[in-house]
Amino acid sequence: MLSFQSSKNVLSLTEDLLVRIYELLAAESDRKSFRLVCREFRRIDSLTRRHLRVIRIEFLPILLRKYPRLQSLDLSACPRIDDGVVSLLLTRVGPGSNSPSLGHWAWGLKSLVLSRATGLRFSGLEMLTRACPCLESVDVSYCCGFGDREAAALSSAVGLRELNMDKCLQLTDVGLAKIAVGCSKLEKLSLKWCMEITDLGIDLLCKKCVDLKYLDVSYLKVTNESLHSIACLLKLEVLGLMACPLIDDVGLQFIERGCPSLKVIDVSRCEGVSSSGLIFVVRGHRNLLELNAGYCLSELSTALLHQMKNLNHLEVIRIDGARISETSFQVISANCKSLVEIGLSKCVGVTNMGIMRLVSGCINLRVLNLTCCHSITDAAISAIAYSCRSLVCLKVESCNMITEKGLCQLGSFCLLLEEIDLTDCCGVNDKGLEYLSRCSELSCLKLGLCTNISNKGLSYIGSNCLKIHELDLYRCTGIGDDGLEALSNGCKKLRKLNLSYCNEVSDRGLGYIGRLEELSDLEMRALHKITGVGLEAVAVGCKRLADLDMKHCEKVGDSGFWALAYYSKNLRQINLSYCGISDMALCMVMGNLSRLQEAKLVHLSNSTVEGVELALRACCVRIKKVKLFAPLRFMLSSEILEILHARGCIIRWD
Amino acid sequence: MGTSVGQIDGATAQANVAGDYYGPKMDLKERVCGELQKEVLKGASSTNFKTQHRQKWEDPSSTLDYSTRIEPLFQAFNQTSQTQSLLLCNNQIKVPMQDGSVNDLLQASKIQDWDPSAMLNNLSFLEQKIHQLQDLVYLIIGRKGQVLGRPDELLVQQQQLVTADLTSIIVQLISTAGSLLPSVKQTLSAATTSLGQCGEFGGVVFPSSAQGLNDGVQPQNAGGSKVSELANSVDITSNNGNEQNNHIIEEHELKDEEDAEEGENLLPGTYEILQLEKEEILAPHTHFCTICGKGFKRDANLRMHMRGHGDEYKTPGALAKPTKESSSEPTIIKRYSCPYAGCKRNKDHKKFQPLKTILCVKNHYKRTHCDKSYICSRCNTKKFSVIADLKTHEKHCGKDKWLCSCGTTFSRKDKLFGHITLFQGHTPAIPSDETKAAPVGTSDGATNKVGSVNFNLSSYVSSESDVQSSSMDIKGGINDAVGYFSPLSFDTCNFGGFHEFPRPPFDDSESSFAFLLSRSCNYSQKSGEE
Repeated sequence: MLSFQSSKNVLSLTEDLLVRIYELLAAESDRKSFRLVCREFRRIDSLTRRHLRVIRIEFLPILLRKYPRLQSLDLSACPRIDDGVVSLLLTRVGPGSNSPSLGHWAWGLKSLVLSRATGLRFSGLEMLTRACPCLESVDVSYCCGFGDREAAALSSAVGLRELNMDKCLQLTDVGLAKIAVGCSKLEKLSLKWCMEITDLGIDLLCKKCVDLKYLDVSYLKVTNESLHSIACLLKLEVLGLMACPLIDDVGLQFIERGCPSLKVIDVSRCEGVSSSGLIFVVRGHRNLLELNAGYCLSELSTALLHQMKNLNHLEVIRIDGARISETSFQVISANCKSLVEIGLSKCVGVTNMGIMRLVSGCINLRVLNLTCCHSITDAAISAIAYSCRSLVCLKVESCNMITEKGLCQLGSFCLLLEEIDLTDCCGVNDKGLEYLSRCSELSCLKLGLCTNISNKGLSYIGSNCLKIHELDLYRCTGIGDDGLEALSNGCKKLRKLNLSYCNEVSDRGLGYIGRLEELSDLEMRALHKITGVGLEAVAVGCKRLADLDMKHCEKVGDSGFWALAYYSKNLRQINLSYCGISDMALCMVMGNLSRLQEAKLVHLSNSTVEGVELALRACCVRIKKVKLFAPLRFMLSSEILEILHARGCIIRWD
Repeated sequence: MGTSVGQIDGATAQANVAGDYYGPKMDLKERVCGELQKEVLKGASSTNFKTQHRQKWEDPSSTLDYSTRIEPLFQAFNQTSQTQSLLLCNNQIKVPMQDGSVNDLLQASKIQDWDPSAMLNNLSFLEQKIHQLQDLVYLIIGRKGQVLGRPDELLVQQQQLVTADLTSIIVQLISTAGSLLPSVKQTLSAATTSLGQCGEFGGVVFPSSAQGLNDGVQPQNAGGSKVSELANSVDITSNNGNEQNNHIIEEHELKDEEDAEEGENLLPGTYEILQLEKEEILAPHTHFCTICGKGFKRDANLRMHMRGHGDEYKTPGALAKPTKESSSEPTIIKRYSCPYAGCKRNKDHKKFQPLKTILCVKNHYKRTHCDKSYICSRCNTKKFSVIADLKTHEKHCGKDKWLCSCGTTFSRKDKLFGHITLFQGHTPAIPSDETKAAPVGTSDGATNKVGSVNFNLSSYVSSESDVQSSSMDIKGGINDAVGYFSPLSFDTCNFGGFHEFPRPPFDDSESSFAFLLSRSCNYSQKSGEE
């Protein structure tokens, strides 16, 4: 950061130089500090800023005025985006406004993220697409109510290149046809879970949008016919076919002869696909970079292996769930020298010897997934650590035979390690954590069910791994308040923390948690010792808290919930099931937390039907998903249920 | 022309082999007879009919004359043929007649092009004829009392008279249709020469009988052109009436045959090409009863019909399907050519694709080269030339839920998508009824419902509606929308004691009471984004 003594010099810098400095600031927090320095810096920030992710809609009009050069706007975290808000933004802040200070924010906009904007409908979407002539990328994923009308509205954005429509459940071939005809420049399209789409729609898409480079039809009920159409896409590079139950080897035969530019293919969980289908794909595409065939192969057959010898550029392969022999590892190791990632999760036949052979050739491996490969031991981990010095991610969940020896090797050689999953590795102890803490780049550490670790082990992590932003201590019953103290002193960047069932944690521990200002995600189920005091400390301290799961924290009283309602303004998801929250506090929490989108409210022992009803009324304009006690279905007024339904809220009855 | 005669025979044989449905199987001889008869009728009555007619029907006194005059005729008939049916004699009639008139007819029909107004005339003429027949029947009923003397005989005569009239109408319909066929004409002219030899009794009998028949048939001095026009009119109307259902089923079943053989790859020369002429293609019936002249589409139906004409037709041999005559010699594959010059199905076309069966020819010709005269009564837009197509369409009409932006409707989604693939810029249209369920409206409704509950929401409802109508000022005053998005704020509920919470230095907790815009000016220095 710039020092204050030199501020005079800094201020004398010209605008373009300041802009260049600003652009070098990568972290959002640094940029925030930058713009808080002075007016001039803030002006630079306003002029330069291209991307905006809005969390509170109430600031949106000001922000849109403040940043006239926006190219990318992310509204996915905003609750309550609906057609009214859109029209308000466009008429008041848009080009029609008289005030010169109101920028034409929509004119330059290229990217728009509207994921989970369940309140939005086609009229609002149409207004947006019409107002943004330069729009190139739109994300409307998980807008479950979206269908053909919304697709029609999107299709008026003729320059669209990227479109994500995952889980737009109402979308049919008609809507897809609208998009295919309207947005012919489309290069990237994701249609996951758009269950109504059939071969007809895909066929039309492939005929109209010939520039497609990325197409994801995962989970669709499309058949080989679709693959026949897709095979005609000359520019297609990435094809996602995950869990398409009707696709089989015959369809992949079309892919062998088509899609000359194919680089990435995902056929994982395709029930109909077997080795022979993959042989077609591999035979036709020697330049394949990524092959994802998890849970569709029973065995990595020799015929397939033989073909894979030619894949000299292959970087990623995932064959989760397949049976694999030691000689197969030898073949992969000898031929696929450029492998960067290999996924062997739940593979049968993964042995120490196999892993040793693999890493002897594939020294560039950066990501290695060995989840549930129960037979590997420290020997394999040592070989990995010794060969793959650039290892970034290692997943060894449920590999019980790993002990501190293996972790020692990792801590000695894999200094770039950022993510390690040691869930359910009961061989991990405090000593092991001490070795592991030498990996100072570590950002994600999962220690769930490692019952042998204690506060001491955690303190090593807290003092050395300062970059950690995700820590999972699920059921680490040895962890107590002292461990959290050490953690809160060192790991200031912690964003995600799981403390569920760490029974020793008390209010004092939560006090330390409250010092973690970056914390956004806290799971603390069944902490029986904590009370309202602890919750209050968290609420006051963790200002960014967005997701709080406190199921079964029965001792927490209303005072804690009051504090939560008062301070945790950024809270988006909350689980209050089995908590002793009163009617009044529930209403407070639900009504006052203006960003709350999802709530789980099952078995609230101190609440009445009226209380829940009131709470729902208080939040009905913004809530998107709510889980309720099933008998309430008939006790709540039909009125409130209708309102929730009309707002696009999903109710799960439990 | 000369070749096509031979082809027709071949076609007939083929139809028999292929199965006895709807082939253009024509009993040429019968046709010729019909033709001849008509010609004779015309020749006999052409000069004096009009006046005679007037006399007969306008002057009641002449009715007696009429009946008596006809009487010997029928006696004569009864002598010559033992059956009641008049038409049987048609087969036997050998009438000397001038070749000239026949040729005229041929010329005329060949030259004549389809003329709708003329057709209309002919249709109305036929209608008139039927009315006249009706009148005749009335007359007979009215005269019953006067002829009490010989009741039985008279009854027989009257029956015969009516039958004769009816028959003549039918015959006219058939023969006019048949007269359009050049092939028939050929045979006709050939036949006429041989007919001359055996016209002894016909010369006596026929002229008078022709008059009787003529009453119902040929009122005017109609030339050959008239006849050919009538033939046209027959084509158009032929699909009405009892046979309709039959027709539909047959054609519907076989509808796709034309399409189905698209991919057939027979080498040229490996099959025999037959070309039916337009008139024959458009003829409604192909099998005619040699006794009464009734037409059938299937030979089997004709055989069934023949049983009614006597025991000799009831023998198993007569009822059996005609056996393949050419069973001994190797069957040559027969394919058909469309007579329309320039058509892809015409044998002279470069990329000639033959049609498989006669039915294919018929449907192809009607669909491709004829006017689409059947209009769907439901949508009034779709037109068809084959009535079966209309019926098929009517089954789905109104159910066309697949709509293109260009206004074309489809009953099937894949057809719509094929259309969209083909035409640049066309998109499927989304039915407009969904618009009514616009979510803005529902959310409004929902909000109002919230308001209607007795619930302390401060100005929640009004402010919500303010936003909906975009009337709220952005910079707005604090009063503007208190509690806009926060119905249960601390402001409205007094929860004393909790305000003592230490406020974080940069806290924006005020926004808990705030709302979208009214307070936003207070935060202009802060940022709400991450």
